[in-house]
Amino acid sequence: MRYLCLIYSDEAWWEKASEAEMQKGMAEYNAFTENIKKNGNYVGGEALQPTKTAKSVRVRNGKISTTDGPYVETKEQLGGYYLIKAKDLNDALQVASRIPGAQHGTVEVRPIMEFDQP
Amino acid sequence: MKYLCLVYQEEKQEPNVPRDQIEQAKKDYWAFTEDIKKSGHYIGSNGLKHTDAATTVRVRNGKLSTTDGPFAETKEQLGGYFLIEAKDLNDAIQVAARIPSAKWGSIEVRPIWG
Repeated sequence: MRYLCLIYSDEAWWEKASEAEMQKGMAEYNAFTENIKKNGNYVGGEALQPTKTAKSVRVRNGKISTTDGPYVETKEQLGGYYLIKAKDLNDALQVASRIPGAQHGTVEVRPIMEFDQP
Repeated sequence: MKYLCLVYQEEKQEPNVPRDQIEQAKKDYWAFTEDIKKSGHYIGSNGLKHTDAATTVRVRNGKLSTTDGPFAETKEQLGGYFLIEAKDLNDAIQVAARIPSAKWGSIEVRPIWG
């Protein structure tokens, strides 16, 4: 089964981090990514720019409206995700717990919905 | 540049939506996806199972703790995403506005690093 692991952490940390802390943080992510690529859990993953770059888009009565900022203001912010393949939820949670952000932030694990073509 | 379009909509409204409207929404999603594949915007997309299937994971002092439910309780819930390639933010917003759920929910557009 496929699962989406959404990584929430305090984005201010990356802004305040020293060059060395940032290098270490990135090295941990690179090592984790390499590891799950090797063991077949990796399907995809991306890192997002900070929420100050976010726009929220709605269309009502055919008119587009956009607002600055993310959909929801939270203490920790969505900073990236991994799409993984796992045997079951328990296996997915084990993989999620090894994401570096799980050590100081929160990882939300959501099963992917499989659709049939209409 | 790559952008992530996060699709938020009220999942608890879904049981109240008539069957034909659900079928139409599915068709609209397939048509939109085919359309952005043709235009070269599409990189990937997925729908998520509802937030009652979510588990949140934290590790503190080496100990794993899990709780049922999503990271944040919100009026609308993250229901899926499109990862797209767009010329610039404005182009990304134009694509996001054509996601069927933009008409009844909200789309958050976030640029990708790198």
